[in-house]
Amino acid sequence: MSPDGGRRTWAQRLLGANTLWIGLALLVIVAVFGALRPDAVLTVFTLQSLLVETSVLLVLSVGMTYVVVTSGIDLSVGSVLVFSSVTSATAMNALNAGDATRAGWGTVLVGLAVALAGGAAWGLLNGLLVARAGLPPLIVTLGSFGAALGAGQLISNGSNVSRVPDALTDGLGSGTWFDLPNMVILAGAVTALGALVLATTRFGRHTYAIGSDEEAARRAGIPVTRHLAGVYLLAGVLAGLAGFMSLAYFRVASITGHETDNLDAIAAVVLGGTSLFGGSGSVVGTVLGVFIPAVLQKGFVIVGVNVYWQPVAVGAVLVAAVWFDQSRRRARNRR
Amino acid sequence: MSTRTAALLGAALLLTACGGGGRIGDAGDAGDGKRMVLIPGVSAEPFYISMECAFREAAQARGYAVDVQAPAKFDSTLQTPIVSGVLANRPGAVLIAPTDDKAMAGPMRQLKDAGVKVVEVDTRLEDTSIAVSTVSSDNEQGGQLAARTMAKLVGDKPGSVLVLNTKAGTSTTDARAKGFEDEIGKYPNLRYVGQQYTDNEPDQAVSKLTATLAAHPDLVGVFATNLNTGEGASTGLRNTGRTGVVNLVGFDASPKQVEDLRAGAVQALIAQDPATIGRTGVEQAVAALEGGEVRREVETDLVALTRADMDANEEYFYKQGC
Repeated sequence: MSPDGGRRTWAQRLLGANTLWIGLALLVIVAVFGALRPDAVLTVFTLQSLLVETSVLLVLSVGMTYVVVTSGIDLSVGSVLVFSSVTSATAMNALNAGDATRAGWGTVLVGLAVALAGGAAWGLLNGLLVARAGLPPLIVTLGSFGAALGAGQLISNGSNVSRVPDALTDGLGSGTWFDLPNMVILAGAVTALGALVLATTRFGRHTYAIGSDEEAARRAGIPVTRHLAGVYLLAGVLAGLAGFMSLAYFRVASITGHETDNLDAIAAVVLGGTSLFGGSGSVVGTVLGVFIPAVLQKGFVIVGVNVYWQPVAVGAVLVAAVWFDQSRRRARNRR
Repeated sequence: MSTRTAALLGAALLLTACGGGGRIGDAGDAGDGKRMVLIPGVSAEPFYISMECAFREAAQARGYAVDVQAPAKFDSTLQTPIVSGVLANRPGAVLIAPTDDKAMAGPMRQLKDAGVKVVEVDTRLEDTSIAVSTVSSDNEQGGQLAARTMAKLVGDKPGSVLVLNTKAGTSTTDARAKGFEDEIGKYPNLRYVGQQYTDNEPDQAVSKLTATLAAHPDLVGVFATNLNTGEGASTGLRNTGRTGVVNLVGFDASPKQVEDLRAGAVQALIAQDPATIGRTGVEQAVAALEGGEVRREVETDLVALTRADMDANEEYFYKQGC
C-alpha cells in the first residue's frame, strides 16, 4: 500500500513503516524491565511462558485484523471461542461414552473439525448479517456475542466441560518441538499465513480496498458482499481454532472467563497501527500490539508493581502508544 | 458508533433509569404460604446445584412445595426480574443468594414488604434489615484454613507463597485472601509475596503465576481463591513443569476440581458445605413462618480436602445434579 512504490529508499521505507515505532516501543519496554530485573526478565523461561500465554489471543487478533481493516468490528470472538471449545469438548466426550481422556488422535481430529465448524458457523452468520442484510457490525456481533455464549451454555448445561483427550492436551497443550511450545508454533504459522495473505494476495488487496471505500470497491468490480462475508467467516474460523487451542491448553472448556477477549483483540489490532476506520493496517503490527500489553503485565508482576497500579499503568501505556503513533502519522501526512 | 446510535442508547438508558412512581408488587393477591422458592446466584454451578438438592429435600420433608429460579449469570440485572417474578406468586419464603450487596436490596425489600420471609444463603446484602436470617460459610475462616493447609503441605521448607485472586472488590474472594494473609504470617518459613488480581480470567492467572515464578524462583505455594484462578494456576504449573513442586490450594470442590485433586494437579481444596447451607436455610425459613426460633446469623463449616483424605470426605464434593 505504498503509493510511490519502488522510488523510496530502503531506509525511508523502514522509517515510514507503521510498525517500526511500535516495535521500538516494545523493545524499550523490554529493555526497561530487563534493566530492573535482568535475572528474571531476560530468561528463556519468561520468554517461553510469554509466548505460550499469548498464542490464543494472537490467533484471535489475526482474524480481528482482517475485520478491522474492512472498517468492521467483531465483538463476538470471545463467545465464539467459548462456543467452539464447549462443542468440541462435548463432541469428543460423546464419541467416547462420556470420557474422552484416553481417546486417540481420531477423536482429536473430530474435535478440531467441530471447533472449526462451530467458529465458521458463527462467522458466516455474522458475515451474512453484515454484508447481505447491511446491518452495522457493532450490533450484529454484539448480538452474536451474547447468543454464542448462551448457545455454549445450552450445550454444556451451563457448566465447564472437562475430560479432554490426553493426546490433545499433552500434544498441543503442553508439548514442545525443539524447546518451542507447539502452541506457539501453531499460532506462529497462523500469524505468518495471515500476514502473507493480507499483504500479498488479491484477497488481502480487496480487504484493504473495501475498508478504504466500500462503494468505490463495489464499482471497481470487487464482489464486496461475498468478500465481507468471507472476512467475518475467517474471523469466526480463527476464533474456533483459538477455542480448540485453549481447550488443549487449559484441559477444560470454560464457560466463564472470556468476556474481555474481544476487547483485548481489538486493543491489540489498534495498538498495532490498524485504523478503526479501515483501509490500513498489518498483521505484523497486530503481533506487536498483542505483545505490548502482555509484556507490560508480566513485567509489572515481576518487578513488583502494586496490584492496583497495574491496570492503570497498562491503560496509560496503551493510550500513550496509540497517541504517539497517530500524531506521528498525522505529521507525515501533512508533509 | 454514530451519533444517532449513541443518542438512542442514551435515551434507552435514561428510560430504564427513571421509571415511574409506584411499585411492582403493590397489586396482587394473597400467595401460597406453603411454598418455598430458592433463587441461587447463578444457574448450573455445582456449588448452587448442591445447595439446591439439599434445599429441595429439606423443604419437601417439611411439607413445602418447592421451586428454584436461577439467573443465567451471576448478575443483579438478571436476578432482579426473577425476584419480581417470584414476588407475583407470593411464596411463603424465599431463599436467595443476592448477586450484589447493594443492587439487590430494592427487589428483596419488595419481597419483605409483601410479607415473604427472606433468608440469605451464601452471599448477603449490606442492609441487614431485610432478611430474617443469613446462612453462609465464613470465607475469611476458609482463607485461614487454606493457609494452615498450605503450611502443612510445605512442611519446614522455606519459600514464597502467592495468592491468585479474582477481581478487586469481590467480597467473598477478598475475604478468603484476607484470611489467608492473616494466617500465613504465623509461619516464619513462608514468605508471603502478596496477591495478584486476575479479573477472574484463567489466562491472566497463568500469566501472573509464571511471572511470579520468574521473580520468585523459590515459590512453594499458591492459594487460588476460586475455580477460574485455580484452573489458570494448575495450567501454569503444568506448563512450567512445577506441578506438585509448587503446592496449589484451591477453593470449592466442583467435579473438575475434585478430578484435579485426585490426579495431583491440585494438592488441596477448601470446600464449603453448600448442602448444609441449603438445609439450614430451609430450617430458618420454616422457623420464621411457623414461629420457631430464628437465628439471624448462621455460619457453616469449611473443610480442607487433600488427596490422602478425600475419599473419606466424599459428602463435601459438589454435585453436577441431584
